[in-house]
Amino acid sequence: MTDIRSRNNVRVSGTGTQPMVFAHGFGCDQNMWRFVTPAFEDEYRIVLFDYVGAGKSDLGAYDVSRYSRLDGYAQDILDVCHTLDLRDVILVCHSVSSMAGVLAANREPDLFSHLILIGPSPRYVNDEGYVGGFERKDIEGLLDMMDSNFIGWANFLAPAIMKNDDRPELGTELTESFCSTDPKLARRFAEVTFFGDNRDDLKHVRVPSLILQCSEDIVAPESVGEYTHRNMPGSSYRKMNATGHCPHMSHPDETIELMREYLASVATVSTEAGR
Amino acid sequence: MDELLYDAPCGFLSFNDSGIITLVNRTLLKLLGYPSDVLTGTAVEHILTVPTRIFYQTHFFPLIRMHGHAEEVFLTLRDADGNDVGVLVNAIRRERAGVMANDCAVMRVRERQKYEQELLAARRQAELASEESERRRAELEEANDQLEQQALELELQSEDLQALNRQLEQHGIELEGMRREAEEANLAKSNFLAMMSHELRTPLNAISGYAQLLEMGVHGPVTDAQRESLSRIQQSQRHLLRLVNEILNLARIESGHVDYNLADIAVTALVSPVLPLVEPQLQQKGISLEQDLPADLATRADVEKAQQILLNLLSNAIKFTPAGGRISVTAAARGGGDDEVVVAVTDTGIGIPAAMLETIFDPFVQVEISRSRRGEGTGLGLAISRDLAEGMKGRLEATSVEGSGSTFYLTLPAAKPTPAVSNPA
Repeated sequence: MTDIRSRNNVRVSGTGTQPMVFAHGFGCDQNMWRFVTPAFEDEYRIVLFDYVGAGKSDLGAYDVSRYSRLDGYAQDILDVCHTLDLRDVILVCHSVSSMAGVLAANREPDLFSHLILIGPSPRYVNDEGYVGGFERKDIEGLLDMMDSNFIGWANFLAPAIMKNDDRPELGTELTESFCSTDPKLARRFAEVTFFGDNRDDLKHVRVPSLILQCSEDIVAPESVGEYTHRNMPGSSYRKMNATGHCPHMSHPDETIELMREYLASVATVSTEAGR
Repeated sequence: MDELLYDAPCGFLSFNDSGIITLVNRTLLKLLGYPSDVLTGTAVEHILTVPTRIFYQTHFFPLIRMHGHAEEVFLTLRDADGNDVGVLVNAIRRERAGVMANDCAVMRVRERQKYEQELLAARRQAELASEESERRRAELEEANDQLEQQALELELQSEDLQALNRQLEQHGIELEGMRREAEEANLAKSNFLAMMSHELRTPLNAISGYAQLLEMGVHGPVTDAQRESLSRIQQSQRHLLRLVNEILNLARIESGHVDYNLADIAVTALVSPVLPLVEPQLQQKGISLEQDLPADLATRADVEKAQQILLNLLSNAIKFTPAGGRISVTAAARGGGDDEVVVAVTDTGIGIPAAMLETIFDPFVQVEISRSRRGEGTGLGLAISRDLAEGMKGRLEATSVEGSGSTFYLTLPAAKPTPAVSNPA
């Protein structure tokens, strides 16, 4: 049987009991969470992983047909939860991972207690009566740009791996694996996520959720965040001061604060409900 | 920003973690077509094309944020007029005045980009070609597997065939041996018969001679009863002699010891001399003979042997036709281009059962014993006749309606056409 722990490069830390699983977005791997996770280590059991095809995952386990659909990535999330025998999971997803999280929660709603979706978008390409923010050619332009940069991908990363003497706060191990994604697989991941349409999946969600929406997010504009909130039952919506698309990297403090607020509020509710 | 950096030979840009531009030098402003600094304080995404904005959010910013620096990242900027400007960016993240700044050096790429795009296109083509060749290789492998399977089956079949062939060869050898044995036996038979010819005829002639002497009363008076017996002895001797002669003839023909002297001859000339030979028997049985022989019909045959055949056919016809019957001899041209002549002998006799039509040409066959009794004969006449006909490149065939008569057809090659003689005017 496949060892999911090594296949998905699963890392577990923290001293709490309730599991908090972090699903990274497109372009990076689990290291993107490193400014956020320390804040939760005391209260939760932190579970980090890389999707197959990203980071230090087992590239040999990459199956084209499985990972040509977002379902394949949702299955990675479920596999990780099962292999660690997790229950009552708080699933934190960034960007394109959010819809993989939605699919996972729809398939096994009892596995999850809450979803926290950072910059989610059920569909990136504009459609009739729907503004996703992009035209098809924009996504194709992104794929071209990825190709252009993957030409020298190895060189792109090599200097970072060699020296970080002047940046002692960055651990060697972290820099080594950061964004080390196989170009071909990354391209397919981009195609699967950016050309996908998961709008119909939103209404089936039964797990309560928090949507964190950045200001001036070019990748997931506010209108998209609001659409997701409107169509996903049980969702809370928080607009952040943070700008851009990666608040957990650019504004980790605000991200942590909003997550905590949400988790505290739902804990109160469930405690009250328990009386 | 000092003057040196402001006019440095490369663009310079700094933005904070919120993506707001905090510094931009004149070189970059000029590159993007801005006469003055209208960029500071705006979002860095304003100078990026749409695809680059996504790439910036998903790759470039995370990289610089997590690594602290980035090298040679290709981005597409958007200038003041909305045109795409390809650039290479080196970036470093550092603290300045208590705030984290992301400093970027921006170099325009134009020629280089062209080459890179060519390289990319070439690589993509190579990948497609590689996938295609991989697909073909898989197809070929599959085809190869099938061929191997077929080859295996063929090999098995081939082994079967070889075994069969060996059996056939064995049979062939056996058959060849049998054929040789048969030939040898046949030759031995012919030689035996030829030798016996003399041995048989000599005593037969003696029997006839001494019977005649007795009949003539050379050894004393002969009673009527003795004369009757002597007559039976001579009758039997003649029958036996004819039988022996015909057996010997057949043996000679079948052993290939007969020569054929082929010559062109008119059918009337061929048939006419035979008719007087059967005249006595015809008269005896009151059988009428009709003939229809076209005068211009000619054949190529050994006259003597053809006449022997006709005599045999006529004798048979008389033999098997009851008194008062009718026999006809007719001739006609036949075959493609009239290259054959058929002489037909038809009788109103007892006929031949259909099942017997072919076997009557075999040696020693006569139609039923009762009929053979009625018709005297050795049973060799038709066998000899057919052999002779074939020896002249002809055929001997028969048709019959049982009870109403038979027709025997002697088919012979037509005479060679005489060259046309030009008629002098």
